[in-house]
Amino acid sequence: MKMRIIGDTHFDFLSKRKIAFTCSGILVAIGLFAVVMLTLGKGNVGIQFTGGTSVEGYFAQPVDVGQIRQALSQAGYADAEIVQITGRTQPYTFLVQVKAEGDATQKAQSVVSALKQYFPNNAFTTDSIHEVGSAVGKTLQSQTRWAVIISLIGIMIYITVRFDFRFGVAATIATFHDVLAMMGIFYLLRIEITILVVSAVLTIAGWSLTDTVIVYDRIRENLKKFHRKADFPLAVNNSINEVLARTIMTGITTLVTVVALLIFGGPVLRDFSFALIVGITIGTYSSWFVASPIYVEWENRSPKRYRSS
Amino acid sequence: MPQGQSWKIGLIVFLFLGSLWYLYPTIKLYTMSETERTDMAKIDPQGWIDLQHKAMKLGLDLKGGMRLVLQVDRSKLNPDEATDAVDRAKEILRNRVDQFGVAEPVIAVQGADRIVVELPGIDDPERAQELIGQTAQLEFKLLESPETSKLLVDRIDRALEAASGVDTTSKSADTASKPKEAVDQLFGKKDSTDTAHTQSQLAQNSSDTTHPGDTGAVLAPQIPKESPLSSLLDPAGDIGWSVNKDEGILVRSMLARPDVQKLIPPDVAFAWGTRPQFVGGMQTERLYLLKKPVELEGKYLTDAKPSFDQFRKPIVNFQLTREGGRKFARLTGANIHKPLAIVLDGRVESAPEIQSRISDRGQITMGGTATYENANDLAIVLRAGALPAPVNVIENNVIGPSLGQDSIHRGVLSVIIGTLAVILIMGFYYQLSGVIADFALLLNGIYLLGVMSILHATLTMPGLAGIVLTLGMAVDSNVLIFERIREELRAGKTVRHAIDAGYSHAIVAIVDSHVTAMITALALFIFGTGPIKGFAVTLFWGVGISLFTAVVITKTVFDLRKSYQTLSI
Repeated sequence: MKMRIIGDTHFDFLSKRKIAFTCSGILVAIGLFAVVMLTLGKGNVGIQFTGGTSVEGYFAQPVDVGQIRQALSQAGYADAEIVQITGRTQPYTFLVQVKAEGDATQKAQSVVSALKQYFPNNAFTTDSIHEVGSAVGKTLQSQTRWAVIISLIGIMIYITVRFDFRFGVAATIATFHDVLAMMGIFYLLRIEITILVVSAVLTIAGWSLTDTVIVYDRIRENLKKFHRKADFPLAVNNSINEVLARTIMTGITTLVTVVALLIFGGPVLRDFSFALIVGITIGTYSSWFVASPIYVEWENRSPKRYRSS
Repeated sequence: MPQGQSWKIGLIVFLFLGSLWYLYPTIKLYTMSETERTDMAKIDPQGWIDLQHKAMKLGLDLKGGMRLVLQVDRSKLNPDEATDAVDRAKEILRNRVDQFGVAEPVIAVQGADRIVVELPGIDDPERAQELIGQTAQLEFKLLESPETSKLLVDRIDRALEAASGVDTTSKSADTASKPKEAVDQLFGKKDSTDTAHTQSQLAQNSSDTTHPGDTGAVLAPQIPKESPLSSLLDPAGDIGWSVNKDEGILVRSMLARPDVQKLIPPDVAFAWGTRPQFVGGMQTERLYLLKKPVELEGKYLTDAKPSFDQFRKPIVNFQLTREGGRKFARLTGANIHKPLAIVLDGRVESAPEIQSRISDRGQITMGGTATYENANDLAIVLRAGALPAPVNVIENNVIGPSLGQDSIHRGVLSVIIGTLAVILIMGFYYQLSGVIADFALLLNGIYLLGVMSILHATLTMPGLAGIVLTLGMAVDSNVLIFERIREELRAGKTVRHAIDAGYSHAIVAIVDSHVTAMITALALFIFGTGPIKGFAVTLFWGVGISLFTAVVITKTVFDLRKSYQTLSI
């Protein structure tokens, strides 16, 4: 008994490309806006990039956020961010974040002792401390940007070498689109951009690319069979349809493992897993509706492959 | 068996056994019970250390521990000294870290002037940070003479009295009823809770001030109108003063005032002691007036050891270089019976009296409340030598052990569940072929763990995530092949031809996609730090190994099945 998720399909992906371009255009615009805002420091950026002190810990007994704020104001941290963390084994877990001033990194201790002093009968245990000087944060920001840029360039070179220049450009645009779309969505949902999230974005860039490469590979194979210019879009459409089963199957298996991470992986990995799920969805979408259509559009407007009909 | 298959099968089995061999220490270590561990540490200490070394290391976020990034301030050094300084700092840090007895500390230079220190499993991160983070500059300085010091304090007294006098007369009657605000204005302080606190404390302790000058006006009940500074300073023999710990804030604020600062001659400076003392049940701090010139730099120190003197008090025995000894002899010879301040990072550790001319061997007697641990800590700081340049902590990460444990459990759980889910899906959808792919997947996992053991890679939380992701992607290769084979079968090819065609077409796509994933992993590895590197490593090797298993293992199995009439796929 053979199971088939998708029978022989003949979706016309290419004809939907106008709608797709519009959607993608919106996503990219949001993404660009998000990146600009994040670089300016507005939006939920992790302290690894901005610098600052973050202390996470739990109290033995119930505590009110207002009281914590009092305790911290007295110690001189009136503008600290205090968040109660849900879903931990310890119910009264809080996260305290304080902005950085220069390279001062001794604040964590004073935050902890302020809390301990203010609540003498309520034991406070530190789960984790992260302190980063602001100079370090800036360095990390630029390093990350370089990592993204170099990855994209490396990818474009590789695809160009393996296929051809137009494929390379189209694939790079699609990957760039994925990165921006992801950042846009994270920004809207106010997800904290930590280095873990950034590495999720880079991973998806690679993953989405493999997806795109699979489609391109099939296109290349099919183009050998179709020689007439009119058949060009048909070749591309067929290719996408033919690999559809594989794309969906791989998407499912990858998604299943990431969902396992999301549900069972605990609070540290939650944002990371969510980022991956968003990325996988967008990555699959871009292989169908961005990478291939761009290639076709380009060919339509400046034919290289089929000079004469 | 068709020809050429046996060596492939042999290779697969060999790699499998090899991986298990490398994994064995890890499995053994993490399944040992508490008693077994302590037993082994006692009976076979070398073996115990070896086992820990061979097993896979857990990253800080899984084990708990501390990670510091320190930056060497090279601004005052010339270029030659600068490069040397970072290396020396690294060695010095290594010495200090060794003292903690942490199993696998990491000390590495990052870039041109940064040092990363990782202390997994450390149980007292505060002490560690104090010792490492405040890696001090060691200097020896002389004190200003008691007579001149008193003159300066008197001068400051008169200036402060004059200033407070001016302020009171210019104020309206309002201020009479708002002492706190007036105090704030006088001292330019924003936070009035501190002074209120001090005020109440002072009201309680009246016995410690030599001049009970706080009767004065209602205006400033806690600052003495007469002799504001000297009333809070209790001369401690000829060596500086004692200050009540609660009054320390006041003294600091007085000394910080610009009009007071102007009175301090350029060749002296006030410096506080590092450790509070107990005098008559009261906690006090020490304040000194030091001569600014550095009489001896810490770099001449070669050794320092804690010990006990004849009164069973903790002391530190120290040793200098020959040149240091010469300098020190000159210094001590000219200043017998005078105190010499040992200054650590601008604070006076102690100011023992120079008993006699000392050349290259000497002894430091710790202060009254010092414990052996204090002497040991001081010896650690001295022994490793003073740093050639100041070092700042620019990054500090501490993960509590309970969070680490929690993360391990969850990580392992999600890996198991994810794997099971994938196995089920593949088995249902591709039937027997799916089962074969599952088998390859498990081998994949074992190979990956084996490789990580060989590389002594550290397993971090993102690394676990990388493993989970790799598993999901690893089946991709097989999915590609299987879908292609199905296609070929639908097109009517025989089993043998379908398998061949499926593989040959799919291989190209597999190689392309895996290489691009590895490029991404490489970029992450180069630009990432700490935990991200762990993720990149598992991703890189996971993808690489999946390339191998998909192509070699399943192909081998399929080659065996070519002779079949139908294919369960």
